[in-house]
Amino acid sequence: MYKLLGVLCILAGCIGWGSARANQEKDRVRHLRTLFHILGQMRGEISYGRHTLPEICLLLAELNCGCYNSCFLRIYERTGEESGKDFARVWEEEMGDCLARLPLREDEREAVAGLPKTMNFREEDGQSGRIGQAEAFLEGRYRQAEETYENRSKMIRSISILTGLLLIILLL
Amino acid sequence: MRPEEILCLFPEGIRDRWREVAGQAEDLQEIRLRAGMPTAVWIANRESFVDLQGRIVDRPEKAARSSADELEELLKHLCRYSVYAFADEIRQGFLTVQGGHRAGLSGQVILDQDGRIKNMKYIRYLNIRIAHQVRGAADPVIPRIFEDGHVLSTLLISPPGGGKTTMLRDIIRQVSEGNAYGEGVNVSVVDERSEIAGSYLGVSQNDVGIRTDILDGCPKVEGMMLLIRSMAPRVLAVDEIGSPEDVRALQMASGCGCRLLATIHGGSLEEVRRKNYMRDVIEQGLFERYVILDRKTGVCRITGIYDREGKPCISC
Repeated sequence: MYKLLGVLCILAGCIGWGSARANQEKDRVRHLRTLFHILGQMRGEISYGRHTLPEICLLLAELNCGCYNSCFLRIYERTGEESGKDFARVWEEEMGDCLARLPLREDEREAVAGLPKTMNFREEDGQSGRIGQAEAFLEGRYRQAEETYENRSKMIRSISILTGLLLIILLL
Repeated sequence: MRPEEILCLFPEGIRDRWREVAGQAEDLQEIRLRAGMPTAVWIANRESFVDLQGRIVDRPEKAARSSADELEELLKHLCRYSVYAFADEIRQGFLTVQGGHRAGLSGQVILDQDGRIKNMKYIRYLNIRIAHQVRGAADPVIPRIFEDGHVLSTLLISPPGGGKTTMLRDIIRQVSEGNAYGEGVNVSVVDERSEIAGSYLGVSQNDVGIRTDILDGCPKVEGMMLLIRSMAPRVLAVDEIGSPEDVRALQMASGCGCRLLATIHGGSLEEVRRKNYMRDVIEQGLFERYVILDRKTGVCRITGIYDREGKPCISC
């Protein structure tokens, strides 16, 4: 009876770990898609709306939910006229904190968090073009992640079940 | 004006240097920054300098010198780190910032293929003009520009710095809100250079009255026609008429039944009459009042008010 319970626990644990890993991959795909959409929204607001970056952050806070909403709202509030704080630094801090909690790779985080450092163009075409580059990079990563997600998740789930079975055999 | 309003013009890193200057916000007129040159301020019609500790000093040798990087940082801050959003204004050589203050810019101009100014780079000269709305500046003029409860088309004439925009702003406010001489009416303002309302991010920073609509940053000719079609104003106000096209647009606006409030550079009515494009306007009597302003010993004053025929308007 105890052996059976142990077998079930090991199997459930391994399947759970596999599911968690697969969900992490799924989350990565979802966040990459959200991020490149956000950059697309920024590009649009720069090209057509000619809003300032803090204003764009307020718009993005309204358009996005979850961690992005609070992140953009904090950037908007911290870069208010009264504060005199450097936008690039505030963006890097807040976005860095927000992205650190997400299942992204380092270069993907850097592409977003370090964006304002290169946003010093004097006209909107150059400025939106620069964001377009980051957007294209993230879109590429998103397409790649989406393509590999199905196979990877199947593989992770299979490996987790196999690992569970292997452990059971070894322990028995 | 609160000292904080002045401090807000500067990025966090250099605010401490401006605290003493900000303390004199009420009398502060200009802040002049030039790369590698002493930092100068104009306070109560007197030039002073600011040293590294932020003290106001009399001699330029003791003054702090702004670096090119500091000016770039200040420009970025004034543009809210979004220089692209202010490209049109930079092209014209100025920025309007929160509070309605104006930062004049100078540096190296980039021309397009047609020889027009495309943009400006290496901005190394900044002149921040502090806006002071003078409520009641138009009080001496108001009784003379109203007749039977209606405002008369009025042209304000003065040399640069003579106070015509300040006067126009207060006339707009009083016409819009109403006063002892007439009820408030809808006023539309074409604020080509954001000087009248001092709009920042679309919001007027100066009080221009409760019935005033502002078209900010729009060329006068297009703006006047647009406002007549869209806002049906009783009074149309523009600053600094300077071309035959402006005059034609004013004539069309007048033909649509609008009363006009406008300003023009000049020392006297005769000087304005000598401008080719203004001669016909004056002879046709487009304006019913001419207000001449001047600046003597730093104080703006009214030197004459004339009627449509150019006769001194003493009894009206």
